[in-house]
Amino acid sequence: MPQEYDSRASLHLDVNQGLDRVTELVQTRLIESGWRDQVKLHCRKTILESANSKHVPTVDELITQITPKARGMVPDAVKRELLHELELILMNVDRTGYAKNI
Amino acid sequence: MSAKGCLHVQNLKRHPQNLDTFKWLHTVFVVAGSPKSHEIKVSNAWCRTCKNRGPFLHACLGCVYFGCHKHIREHTKSQKHNFSLELSYGQLHCTACGDYVYDADIDAITMENKMNAAEFRKRLFECTSWDATEEERDLLSHKTKKICITPECTIGLRGLINLGATCFMNCILQALMHTPLLRDYFLTERHNCNNVQGACFVCEISKLYQEFYNGDTFPLALPCLLHLTWKHATHLAGYRQQDAHEFFIATLNILHNHCLDTMHKNNELLDRENGKCPCIIDKIYTGSLQSDVVCQKCNVVSTKIDPLWDFSLDLGPVTLGGKQPTSLYAVLEQFTRAELLSYMCSSCGTSQESTKQLTMKTLPIVINFHLKRFQHSEEIKKKISTVISFPEMLDMTPFMSSSSTENPYPQDNRYSLFAVINHVGTSIMSGHYTAYVRHHRDIWYKCNDEIITRAKFEEVLASEGYLLFYHKHVLDYE
Repeated sequence: MPQEYDSRASLHLDVNQGLDRVTELVQTRLIESGWRDQVKLHCRKTILESANSKHVPTVDELITQITPKARGMVPDAVKRELLHELELILMNVDRTGYAKNI
Repeated sequence: MSAKGCLHVQNLKRHPQNLDTFKWLHTVFVVAGSPKSHEIKVSNAWCRTCKNRGPFLHACLGCVYFGCHKHIREHTKSQKHNFSLELSYGQLHCTACGDYVYDADIDAITMENKMNAAEFRKRLFECTSWDATEEERDLLSHKTKKICITPECTIGLRGLINLGATCFMNCILQALMHTPLLRDYFLTERHNCNNVQGACFVCEISKLYQEFYNGDTFPLALPCLLHLTWKHATHLAGYRQQDAHEFFIATLNILHNHCLDTMHKNNELLDRENGKCPCIIDKIYTGSLQSDVVCQKCNVVSTKIDPLWDFSLDLGPVTLGGKQPTSLYAVLEQFTRAELLSYMCSSCGTSQESTKQLTMKTLPIVINFHLKRFQHSEEIKKKISTVISFPEMLDMTPFMSSSSTENPYPQDNRYSLFAVINHVGTSIMSGHYTAYVRHHRDIWYKCNDEIITRAKFEEVLASEGYLLFYHKHVLDYE
């Protein structure tokens, strides 16, 4: 087990698949709000722009270029909902047997 | 379509044990379907350099190393291990090429793993390439008409002609046509019928969906559907005005029966659902009500669970001196309140004062609230026109049976309004039905037989309300 990892919260999130659920939720929200399409459009633009320099950007390069912009485009409502969901789950840390599988 | 990866992948594929390693890693760490592999994933998937769980965790194919985005690149470079597997989507990274690579054989392995997963993971299917079949390619090249969906777009709205006091049918059909899940089911043509043409109600509804979404705007007349209703629900036959709620329940009944008719041919479906009805109607509309009767003398609780399709809610005060409810919340509170009754207790064998309480055991995806505005019991059929306010977003959590201990996660029981049916007039035998439906998010239309007009949302909330349709806000997986 990694050192930082015994923080109860993140263990709880992982063992009970809470993180999976939240990730899925956020993903759905981002698709619904059109965020994903916007990011796709940005990637497409970046690739097209770089066509002049005859170098096709790799995924890693795209990630470094797009990530700051993409983060900024996440709608506030989605952030709020994520915060709320995490709060709800973490309030249950004490109630559930988070360590029983390990 | 054949995707051929780089030379390095071709070399990798020469040794079958490499592919086995890849397959195993993919099954356990990417798909992670079984509890066992989930356990392995939780205890192993963290970056061996910075001890974090991400971002973009990769597994090295050359040795036992996991690393986050930054560290896996450093690792593969310094150790000269050429391949790493991205763990959240399952893409293969080739260090020599400096990018992720695609290969048909690798794709086949990952696809097989995804399909065999114990649990469906949407995320894994989102970046799968779509290989169109011959038939689909043919369709794509021949059907080139494009329809663009904008908020102003009226596709999906059709007026329905009144065939003589059939407004009760029209408004229910409008509500059905705008039920998101039902629409998805029918527009994706999930119903395979082998019945005689024109005899199956489900096929008629399916046809109606096609009519609604083909872009035409002239109003429709539905004599066939009416005829089928008369045939299968004889109590609704005739040219008189009928109760919209009764028609709704009858429609669900017919749809349910016809769905089952076509399903019995492949019995395995029924078995797999172990006793639960697999038809689309039951999947969407069936919830269950738990009734607990507590004997005041011996405190024995007898619990009964009944499935149901709709909630019929009394509007009048139940006890003398009780307050008349004015909001949907209050009506629901009254519905789930414990009430006294005398009851023969099976445990102590005496007739005792008992309390009976109704709670919601499971909620359907679409909840239909029927506000009992018509009194049937008395000889004078009177309509109760009390104003009952109803919210756009309804949280059903307070009315659920208290079995939350089973599930450690707070469930999301929020529902959003998508259709309201109103009755104008003074009694059940006369008057007129209209429907408000949500067309796009926050865009509402009023459907008055063949006339469809844009409606303000305040107008919807201020309307009287006879049947209220709520759709689950966040859908869970089964």
